[in-house]
Amino acid sequence: MIPGRALLVRLAPLLACLGLLTVWQAASLALNNDSFPTALGAIQAIPSILGDKDALINILASLRRMVIGFSIAVIVSIPLGLMMGRSRAVASFFNPLLMVIYPVPKAALMPIIMLWLGVGDLSKTLVIFLGVSLPVIYHSFEGAKAVEEKMLWSGAAMGLSAAERLVRIVLPAALPEILTGCRTGLVLALITMITSEMIARQSGAGNILFNALDMGEYDIVYAMIIIVGAMGIGLDALFERLRARLVRWSEPQFDIPLSFS
Amino acid sequence: MNARAVTTNVLLGLAPIALLILLWQAMVSFGYAPVTLLPPPGQVFGRMVQQFLNATYRQDIEATLLRLFAGFAIAVILGVAIGLAAAASPAINAAVRPIVRVLAPLPKVALYPALLLLLGFGHESKITLVAADALFPILLSTYYGASTVEQKLIWSAMAAGTSHREILFKVVLPAAAPSILTGCRIGLVISCIVVFLAEMITSTDGLGHVLVTAARTFQAVDMFVPLITISLLGLILNGALEGLRSYLLRGFPEV
Repeated sequence: MIPGRALLVRLAPLLACLGLLTVWQAASLALNNDSFPTALGAIQAIPSILGDKDALINILASLRRMVIGFSIAVIVSIPLGLMMGRSRAVASFFNPLLMVIYPVPKAALMPIIMLWLGVGDLSKTLVIFLGVSLPVIYHSFEGAKAVEEKMLWSGAAMGLSAAERLVRIVLPAALPEILTGCRTGLVLALITMITSEMIARQSGAGNILFNALDMGEYDIVYAMIIIVGAMGIGLDALFERLRARLVRWSEPQFDIPLSFS
Repeated sequence: MNARAVTTNVLLGLAPIALLILLWQAMVSFGYAPVTLLPPPGQVFGRMVQQFLNATYRQDIEATLLRLFAGFAIAVILGVAIGLAAAASPAINAAVRPIVRVLAPLPKVALYPALLLLLGFGHESKITLVAADALFPILLSTYYGASTVEQKLIWSAMAAGTSHREILFKVVLPAAAPSILTGCRIGLVISCIVVFLAEMITSTDGLGHVLVTAARTFQAVDMFVPLITISLLGLILNGALEGLRSYLLRGFPEV
């Protein structure tokens, strides 16, 4: 590829960001509405949030809960998904349960969990855990199901036990698919984190967002939206780097995650 | 698979759900959880039947369904149209790709305050949020489905003198249908989740609002009912989509 063209491809997302901000700026100038500040105004409000010690501590606490919830979910979900993929009995045991849980919004469990566990870190982390587990289980399941039987037979013929086969054959073979699930899970963790904080309204990034809305500090609202959006895009890009390194041997299936709450 | 194996699988699948309800009942019966925090399952299901007979609750369900379907429909129309256009034209692809790359991993729910400010607290802001969240899975699976259509099919159509536009609708769209429907399925589940959350954050009606009201007054029973309702709605809608899928894809080789 020509270097100039390669550069353009690499810069395309950045150009898209700039384009979207320009559209925003133009729209807000055209509408001239108090509750719709310009893109520049919102960007100028970012330092005032990140400079505020309380807000920064809140955002970092949110991120910490997210990382803990995400990690536990990944550690629990991958083995479960792999076992479901390799054993029909395990799969038909868990599948209907997961189907029932799937359309329930995890962040909506927040009020109930708060009743049981209080408003602290525990309930928020639990909700994030629940939100991340399903896609990771699902993708590990699909990945393990697609592992070639011959490899497993060869492994068995060479005397690997069932557990060893799971770790040494199924896990690496399903890794690309598992990582796709983790990527979806990562975006989901962020979404669940924000939503649960919007509902619990006690601390965290989601709370800052809605407090600003209630107080009518519209440039803070939009600045927070930019910060949260940047976190989503940044985390996703970071994970994509890691993924590309771990599964360099496989073709990427989807280079854009299917994110949802 | 024979009928007997299917029955065994169904029974095996119902087991954990039954176990969960049993565990739930046991926790209440043996006094591990106070009834105010965890009402017994019988009481919750009884309350649910009572609510279904209640006109206000049915109106809440209607409001939720209206927002869900409107948002989902917008997402399907936009997603399929943009996905097909991006697969058909390199110029559109070059423009859409980076924008999607930026917007897809963005937590859409963070946009909700902005939507509230711009569109107000009524249906519009919630429908827009549902559409924004359900759009990307549908768009992406349409795009991947349409860009992996077998080239020979397109060449044959071209050789038979089909116009460019007709190829898009008569060859590419049907060939991409399985992938599009998979995207729609993901989009539908997302719509269920998002509409509920949006109603929880700010609303005056809908299932999410019922949950929040119950939470404010510490009515644990009423908190479980909307959650079970949305789960049931999700299952029913998913089943309907599955039916539509097997009708639309009849004659397709194993999908």
